[in-house]
Amino acid sequence: MLIRSPKDWELSESAVTAEQIYRLRNRRDFLKTLGVGLAGAALAPRGLLGATAGFPSQENPAYPASALKPTAYDFITSYNNYYEFGTDKSEPKDQAKGFKTDPWTLELAGLVNQPAKFDVNDLVKKLGGLEQRVYRHRCVEAWSMVVPWDGFPLAKLVALADPKPEAKFLKFSTFFDTKNVVGQREAILDWPYVEGLRLDEATNELAFIATGIYGKPIPNQNGAPLRLVTPWKYGFKGIKAIVKIEFTAKAPRNTWNVMAPQEYGFYANVNPNVDHPRWSQASERIIGAGFLGGRQATLMFNGYEKQVAALYKGLDLARNY
Amino acid sequence: MSDPLTISRVSFLEKLLRSKAFVVTLIVLPGLWPAWPLLRHDPTVLADPLKYVLHHLGFTACVLLAVVLTFTPLRVLFPKWGVALALNRHRRLVGVSAFVYAALHLTTHLLYETGGDVSALGRVFKAATTKPFQLIGLIAFTILLVLAVTSVNAAVRWLGGKRWKNLHRLVYVAAPLAAYHQITARKIFPVQVWWIFGPLVVLEIARVIRQRQGPRPPAKPAVASS
Repeated sequence: MLIRSPKDWELSESAVTAEQIYRLRNRRDFLKTLGVGLAGAALAPRGLLGATAGFPSQENPAYPASALKPTAYDFITSYNNYYEFGTDKSEPKDQAKGFKTDPWTLELAGLVNQPAKFDVNDLVKKLGGLEQRVYRHRCVEAWSMVVPWDGFPLAKLVALADPKPEAKFLKFSTFFDTKNVVGQREAILDWPYVEGLRLDEATNELAFIATGIYGKPIPNQNGAPLRLVTPWKYGFKGIKAIVKIEFTAKAPRNTWNVMAPQEYGFYANVNPNVDHPRWSQASERIIGAGFLGGRQATLMFNGYEKQVAALYKGLDLARNY
Repeated sequence: MSDPLTISRVSFLEKLLRSKAFVVTLIVLPGLWPAWPLLRHDPTVLADPLKYVLHHLGFTACVLLAVVLTFTPLRVLFPKWGVALALNRHRRLVGVSAFVYAALHLTTHLLYETGGDVSALGRVFKAATTKPFQLIGLIAFTILLVLAVTSVNAAVRWLGGKRWKNLHRLVYVAAPLAAYHQITARKIFPVQVWWIFGPLVVLEIARVIRQRQGPRPPAKPAVASS
């Protein structure tokens, strides 16, 4: 018999009703996805279903839906910061609708022994399928959600690339497509969006590449088909629609840091004690909680202190925000 | 042929704008507007409905502030235009409305930040003083508060016309502060600031140029109202 000592982020059975509803919904969605996926493979062009449709996703028991109360699917997929597809949170859902994310190629490059290009579906197969993890998501704008992601640990991808000893950082890039993506025709940000992680951050157990939400392929507005998820960092670190991961010796600049270095740093670790210059980070609004749903205290590293605090030992977090 | 038609249309607009009830309706409607997406169950709005209301009220306050400030330059530039004269009848009404929206905006902000917990108010105000974005908004609001309180006739008598006028010139400080506050509310430059404050800037520049051109043949002095 396997005896598992509960980890600290595994809360008590606090949201039983939510969990039952969630599981029912999830199983139905799963069957639907599987059915559509199998039928779709034979009948329909894959692009209509989204990349990674048809891959079953198993809940990772270390990050169960029962520990947190997942935000409703409608809110997760209608409240998006994705400036390539509009600067209002309602816009990406509409404007990204026709964006083609299948087929999609991911390139692994830079200081690695195994540089390669993968079709996203081949990649998922190669990495052994998908798992589901329910993570907190904290935006730098002081709001938060709980998202049931499907995907795979970033560490698996790093292992596949086999970094050389001099590789210390990962630089993630998204697409640059002024023909199809209206937002990129204007210099709102320094396109294409880029993000970076230290190699030891990328191989931390929490770092995740999402391909789905609630057991369905991730919608375009949430970053289809491949999106970085680092739940102990502010949401803007979670680069969407990744096309390339380059391993580098020097720290890459990230887009928001280039845009406003005094407001957005490289680390972007969730920290209630270090305010944004324009607003407090001590607490956060809960998405979907309604008019007076109020706020909750923001947790150090967004509640993932045990998993990631060691990465930043000796680092001045007020300076390295 | 078209002349009498045009004239009748313009005078109709003028007549409409002279009506206090019509102007009050124009001012109140934007306050009710947020109800629409809330009733439609728009998930983007319902994700954080209070934030939506907060931004909408601040936006409306900025628009009304910019609009009321166009009245005087419009009258100076087009002294014979009936619409400009009609608008200038409502300067106090529109100005006080901008303050009311700003007050609702601030109240919503306090509710948003405290979640209704009154004991947290001190913390919220203290945080505001350390953040230029919030502090500037608060200063702009304080100016509008002073102007609204002294907008009653008794205050004009009490202060004397000249001092009252000088005091109310503070609105030219409040407007750029409000624009700054609106710009810094977003992570990137919000384009709507151009069309809210842009026309005002153009009109003010035109007015200054006009007034520097020296005395012109005396136009019919506008009837002082409110």
